[in-house]
Amino acid sequence: MKDIINFKDLKRHIMTGISYFIPLVVGAGLTMAIGRVIAGTSVDNLGTSGLGYWMYQTGNLGMQLMVPMLCAYIAFSMGGRPALAPGFIVGWVSYNINTGFIGGMLGGIVVGVVVNICKKYIHLPKTLEVLKGMLIIPFLATAISGLLMYAVIQGPIVWLMDALTGLLESMSNGSRFIYGGVLGAMATFDFGGPVNKTATAFCNALYAEGIRDAKTVQIIASMIQPFGIAISCLIARNKYTKAEKETLKAAVPMGCFMISEGVIPIAARDLVRVVLACVCGSFVAGGLSMVWGNSSELLNGGFIAFPFFTSPVQGLICLALGSAITGIILAVIKKPVTEADEKAEENLGQELSDEALEEIDIEIM
Amino acid sequence: MKMVGVAACTAGIAHTYIAREKLLKAARLRGHEITCETQGNIGIEDELDPKDIREADVVILAIDVAINKMERFAGKRVIKVDTSTLIKNPIGFIQKVEKVMEKQGKP
Repeated sequence: MKDIINFKDLKRHIMTGISYFIPLVVGAGLTMAIGRVIAGTSVDNLGTSGLGYWMYQTGNLGMQLMVPMLCAYIAFSMGGRPALAPGFIVGWVSYNINTGFIGGMLGGIVVGVVVNICKKYIHLPKTLEVLKGMLIIPFLATAISGLLMYAVIQGPIVWLMDALTGLLESMSNGSRFIYGGVLGAMATFDFGGPVNKTATAFCNALYAEGIRDAKTVQIIASMIQPFGIAISCLIARNKYTKAEKETLKAAVPMGCFMISEGVIPIAARDLVRVVLACVCGSFVAGGLSMVWGNSSELLNGGFIAFPFFTSPVQGLICLALGSAITGIILAVIKKPVTEADEKAEENLGQELSDEALEEIDIEIM
Repeated sequence: MKMVGVAACTAGIAHTYIAREKLLKAARLRGHEITCETQGNIGIEDELDPKDIREADVVILAIDVAINKMERFAGKRVIKVDTSTLIKNPIGFIQKVEKVMEKQGKP
């Protein structure tokens, strides 16, 4: 059973899919954004040729590969190379039957399982073995997974997505603040980690449905950590180590393009306080943005996306407010740097007793 | 012991490289020979030398995602760990590797 699907590793497979698809979202998203900038007030201005149209169209087509890419690399992570091609096909199916991200993830897992079953149970004479990888597995995995997508997965997921979208659409003005706040907090919580990517996937799915205010929340919230931490560093310089100040110099420009991973080293030293401060700022910013109903035309890009909000000014206000809240809270609750902290960057931990060693989770293969 | 390692995290921006640094330092501190490659968002860097892999007693995978070129480690003793677990206590991790290798030895 373990060589077909290992539930403990499922997270790793999904993360693999996500790690391969981030560059796609960034590449296609920014290309599309530049095309959109050239277009000015409306995409229709671009016509059907010229630099702007080509850029926009390149990015646009790239974005459609998002779900196939995710699906393919989840499958790849589970079943290795033979799973890649069927994964792309099934992901494309998922995109076309509107099951989106959730469908793509499930599709990838299905392909992985089918490929692993084929590998385990199909045995051929040595001379024909080469056919297995070239012909039998790609065909069976594609055909079986494709059928399952249409026959089994499509129905419940489309229903689920409709229900979810309906629920979110029906949210009243009062709870919109909480809803936006929670989305914002999720986007911030783990600095581009799994929770952030879940929020991203969710907002992208909504975007595809035409609900674009969640995307704005997520874009703003993803930029708050670097700016908020930078503000707190300006307020309380003695609370950051030398290395952290250096890190910030790279993290802030990255933050302008919505890449929040740059501040991870800073968060790592003081996880609880940094996350708490960031979550507070993002909660308020996200809630406010959602109450205003500010929508984003673009999926990505940080500041590049701002001109394409319904109201760029409101976007900036949310970002500034959230960053300020994060900055002030963090400047207050963070502890001053001690000599030990300056050395902590090189901290390698310590030897442990036998019982404590048991707690370290490893896998022996 | 002789070790080779691979580090790879989800985004391939930060944890990958922190994990590599800490793995190298902790292993050397405890008297092991080690080389480590990273598979970050720009692909493989500091790629492992096939000779090092051949001679290694153990392969350490500090990874949160599936990695490329796994076939290089066929037939070797492989120990897999999350980057976050490794980063938290590199020395403790190496200590655990030592213990496991003592008990299990080569495959």
